[in-house]
Amino acid sequence: MILAVLFSNSDGNILIERFHGVPAEERLHWRSFLAKLGADNLKGAKNEELLVASHKSVSIVYTMIGDVCLYIVGKDEYDELALAEVIFAVTSAVKDVCGKPPTERLFLDKYGRICLCLDEIVWKGLLENTEKDRVRRLIRLKPPVEP
Amino acid sequence: MASGKDSSGSTLMDLITSDPSPAPAAGASSQQSSSGGPLGRPAAAPAPADRKSKKGALTTLSQIQNDTITAAKAFNPVKALPQRNRKKKPVSYAQLARSIHELAATCDQKSSQRQLVNSVFPKLAVYNSVDPSVAPSLLMLHQQCEDRNVLRYVYYYLARILSDNGSQGLSAAGGIPTPNWDALADIDAVGGVTRADVVPRIVDQLSAESSSDDIEFHARRLAALKALTSSSTSNSGMLEKLFEIVFGTLEKVADTKQKRKKGIFTKQGGDKESIIRSNLQYASLSALRRLPLDPGNPAFLHRAVQGVEFSDPVAVRHSLSIISEIAMRDPYSVAMALGKNAQPGGALQDILHLHDVLARVYLAKLCHSISRARVLDERPDIKSQYSSLLYQLLLDPSDRVCFEAILCVLGKVDNTESTEDRAGGWIRLTREILKLPEAPSVASKGILSKSEKTSKARRPQPLIKLVMRRLESSFRSFSRPVLHAAARVVQEMGKSRAAAYSLGVFDEAANLQSYSDNVESLDSDINENSQPEATRKANPLSNGYGGLDTIAGLLASLMEVVRTTVACECVYVRAMVIKALIWMQNPHESFEELKSIIACELSDPAWPSSLLNDVLLTLHARFKATPDMAVTLLEIARIFATKVPGKIDADVLQLLWKTCLVGAGPDGKHTALEAVTIVLDLPPPQPGSMSGFASVDMVSASDPKSAMALQRLVQAAVWFLGENANYAASEYAWESATPPGTALMMLDADKMVAAASSRNPTLASALTRLQRCAFSGSWEIRIASVQALTTIAIRSGEPYRLQIYEFLHALALGGVQSNFSELQLSNGENQGASGTGLGSLISPMLKVLDEMYRAQDDLARDIRQHDNSKQEWSDEELKKLYETHERLLDFVSLFCFVPRAKYLPLGPTSAKLIEIYRNRHNISASGGLTDPAVATGISDLMYESKDVHKEATTMQSGIDPDLAMAWAAGLEDDVWDNNAPAVDKVKDFLAGAGTDAPDVDDEEYMNSRPSVGYDDMWAKTILETYEAEEDDGRSSGGSSPESTGSVETSISSHFGGMNYPSLFSSKPSGYGASQQTIREEPPSYSTSVLQRRESFENPVAGHGGRSFGSHDDEDRSSGNPQSGKALYDFTAGGDDELSLTAGEDVEIEYEVDGWYYVKKRRPGRDGKIAGLVPVLYVNS
Repeated sequence: MILAVLFSNSDGNILIERFHGVPAEERLHWRSFLAKLGADNLKGAKNEELLVASHKSVSIVYTMIGDVCLYIVGKDEYDELALAEVIFAVTSAVKDVCGKPPTERLFLDKYGRICLCLDEIVWKGLLENTEKDRVRRLIRLKPPVEP
Repeated sequence: MASGKDSSGSTLMDLITSDPSPAPAAGASSQQSSSGGPLGRPAAAPAPADRKSKKGALTTLSQIQNDTITAAKAFNPVKALPQRNRKKKPVSYAQLARSIHELAATCDQKSSQRQLVNSVFPKLAVYNSVDPSVAPSLLMLHQQCEDRNVLRYVYYYLARILSDNGSQGLSAAGGIPTPNWDALADIDAVGGVTRADVVPRIVDQLSAESSSDDIEFHARRLAALKALTSSSTSNSGMLEKLFEIVFGTLEKVADTKQKRKKGIFTKQGGDKESIIRSNLQYASLSALRRLPLDPGNPAFLHRAVQGVEFSDPVAVRHSLSIISEIAMRDPYSVAMALGKNAQPGGALQDILHLHDVLARVYLAKLCHSISRARVLDERPDIKSQYSSLLYQLLLDPSDRVCFEAILCVLGKVDNTESTEDRAGGWIRLTREILKLPEAPSVASKGILSKSEKTSKARRPQPLIKLVMRRLESSFRSFSRPVLHAAARVVQEMGKSRAAAYSLGVFDEAANLQSYSDNVESLDSDINENSQPEATRKANPLSNGYGGLDTIAGLLASLMEVVRTTVACECVYVRAMVIKALIWMQNPHESFEELKSIIACELSDPAWPSSLLNDVLLTLHARFKATPDMAVTLLEIARIFATKVPGKIDADVLQLLWKTCLVGAGPDGKHTALEAVTIVLDLPPPQPGSMSGFASVDMVSASDPKSAMALQRLVQAAVWFLGENANYAASEYAWESATPPGTALMMLDADKMVAAASSRNPTLASALTRLQRCAFSGSWEIRIASVQALTTIAIRSGEPYRLQIYEFLHALALGGVQSNFSELQLSNGENQGASGTGLGSLISPMLKVLDEMYRAQDDLARDIRQHDNSKQEWSDEELKKLYETHERLLDFVSLFCFVPRAKYLPLGPTSAKLIEIYRNRHNISASGGLTDPAVATGISDLMYESKDVHKEATTMQSGIDPDLAMAWAAGLEDDVWDNNAPAVDKVKDFLAGAGTDAPDVDDEEYMNSRPSVGYDDMWAKTILETYEAEEDDGRSSGGSSPESTGSVETSISSHFGGMNYPSLFSSKPSGYGASQQTIREEPPSYSTSVLQRRESFENPVAGHGGRSFGSHDDEDRSSGNPQSGKALYDFTAGGDDELSLTAGEDVEIEYEVDGWYYVKKRRPGRDGKIAGLVPVLYVNS
């Protein structure tokens, strides 16, 4: 289960968040936990370098893409390595939409599109599409494979 | 929780709509606080407006509506969209909704479409829910608009409307909080639109679309199906409809046989029809995956199994994930349904090369479930097909897949496996010989072990070698997720190994070659295996690593690599490595290296306390797996206690002590207790007193916070010692046959000590430590030590009781301090007139012991008189004796728990007489069961029904009876009281639970806490405990010693939450006793106890000063605390201050420099219950 996908800017303001299976009262904790994790560790991290954390049986993989931090929280089959796959799918889709590692401004300009991408990549707590091309087609309402 | 996405005054909407340069409007901030707290400040969690119930007053709701609209307006004051349109368009929610309505009406125009796609829809995404009133326009767009981009958004929003959970408006999406649309619609006079109105329409329209067969629109069909799946599956009608659509689609597209085209995404092969079919297959399986599992349904399974052959990799992944989940419950039908797919050349073989990592992960799970299934024992052919698939996955290029396969081999799937499963996993790992697969394509995938495979293809290899090599190469990776995962795999390996060890199927020194030969001989298709043993040993395995041909050798080389990983800069990876090392540690191995690694790691301040506690919990789990390791683990736990006292949870540590002490068994008990009490030997954290200790023993408590925590820890250790020394020493007054009043009584103190230590060194050393603590510790520790000593005195037989009596007596007089003067040098406290300042505390304890001795003397005299005059005991005399017995029992029970039925305060000689009296008057000896202490059942379990439990233990084979008894007594899960948070934590951990949100480990946050290292929820239980104590204090303020017995029940029940576990019970523990002592000495002690608590709450609150002069404080504040009322609101300006609300009742403890130290009746919002407030703020 992918419990959360969360984008924030470098100040820790959350830009996009998608929770699945996280009770409402725990979301606040997750937000602040992730924001603190990013504040502590993402400064000076290389672009798209994967960082890892864990809390009890939950894994967290996070990274910095351009000026935007991306955190993914998962459990069970979505362990660190599976989350690395997820994060790779998300970052490549974001780069695809923005054309490059996004600045915060660019990210916000493409906000709607990124939401659609996310909708195609992580859906109801499960990883769906991973291929950049496929995602690109699906957000334009084209079939995943063109006849 | 619909919280704002904003922080520091700028909202997401501001960010999105603002031009890059200008700062966001400040006007928004006031509104934000009503609609959502700023992020990053966990304390601010306002109830969002949309959670108000429908029944709320009309005015409130319309207020909300206005608020929301103005709020939304305020989010974006008169700012134009980035793309300027004809009109200026402020982006409030209402405006967005309106533009959707307008643009939907003109959706045939290009400009409208562009506007929708570029500005309206993206901004709507910022809000966390979509107003159902937008739905009609969306549906109109859905029907009339042809622009794909617009339509994609339309599906997105329709899905969001469908997925909204009821009327709460709390979708998973997050975003700027929105009101409860349905509630708004209800009060809207002009007929608002609720979800109930629109959802059926949306569902109808989407279902019609998703069932249509129009090829031109099949992309829309996919999107419609996906959107439909978002709707809540709790609605059975909806569910039925979805199943109908999905099965209907699969009916048409799944059955046609088609060969998978490899690399379908790189080259778009295949005809149009088959591609469309494949797309539909994908969409329907993806929908099926989101529907609830229907394990008993053959149609469901059939459709899922068909998915394995689909050409779309995502469809295959979903199909495998469904199948693997069903296979965990019903492996037989899955294996039957899969049938030929598993055979060489079947669809499952193809998945090995499928370009989808998760699909292969699910395949591993599936293979594991089937190959381990008992129901398939009759079909070894099927099982071997699946195991062979699983072993092929070990060679997978992806670490994720390979690790999953290793975990499957090790027998780990979820956390519910039995020890036997895990042990079987270890055996499998160490003994299995892997025949490399015939399929050459795997080898050509360019993976790490490629070279060795191609070079000696077909050569059977021990499985463990392959795994070790793979893990070792993963540990050389630079990627943190890979390192973390590899360490986790090693940890799981350790778990399986521990399981094998505990079941005695552990054989590491064995030569791998011999295993392989054994298997080969069974297999008998490969080379000669008739070599004599000697030549085989001399012939190392093919890769030429000398000395690596034993499992132990392989493991050693792996662990070498694991240890180097400690150098990773990421603490989480390091934590995982340490856990792995703890798990791989075996009882018979030296753990010096592990110790030094941990000691070295703990010096790093970067470790968050949650992680450290996680490691501590790992020690627990390790202990549970191998009780033999108790002493080793205690040694490791000690490092935590000394190195990071401020960061670990003292309760969890204490529980570890306790479980280890119990687990150490009769022989190890002494060592275990030594390991625990070593904490007491730590030098006090004052500067200057730390010299002369080895590095591990050095206390790293340089800051006041950790000094406080260390003190708490020492106190806990003292407490633990008092409660458990008797257990560890197996010395109980009620089991000792030595009658008092014998020659021992004549001995002087020195001889008595000598006699005592020769009889029971464990108890003697515990006594020595406690005696030292009673002198040299801080005020709190001295109190705890004296209490602990009293407990031991009451529970032990002679000569210990007498020894303690003498000591306490001397302590009370204060005259002996010169004898211990060297111990007091580091103390630096003014001992005061009574020597230790403990006189008032000791006197009731002495009184009890006095009474006991006096009664024993009287009894001895009476017996002698009766014997001399050959006179029978009269009923009257017996009654008197019995009453004394009961009275003393009551007294004693005030101090610590004793089994009432067995305890004889008058000494063993009284047993017969009391028995006579009881028989005559039909008094049940177990009358003490009404005693809440006994009612907990622990004492009886432990000392009376020993035999019963011996029977029980025979069932738990392989565990020694003493240990099992102790488990039964104190550690059985159902005996573990729910109140003890440490127990919950450990249980959660052992069960592998834990997805709840983490606490942010914030310095300031921690400082304001009463005790360091507690989770939020614990803090709550602690506060409740405080409250209970406070109640006690109040209710018992004026009660006399005689009346305490009667209130005991209620008191003891109040102490259910006390966090100190003891082998007896956590309930009627000595803290209770100390509280009850208060009743005997109300003036002096009550305040000191309260202060003691408070000093934990406020580490900076001048604790030193107070403990310094605590005796004076007591005298000054004698009597009941004064009550007062807060006159004004007061906000605490520091940690030692207390916030007040005007009108609040407080108790004034004392005054200092224009401040009152007051106590509230219950903790305030900040969790504090006591602190300083200005005198003028309180009306006394």
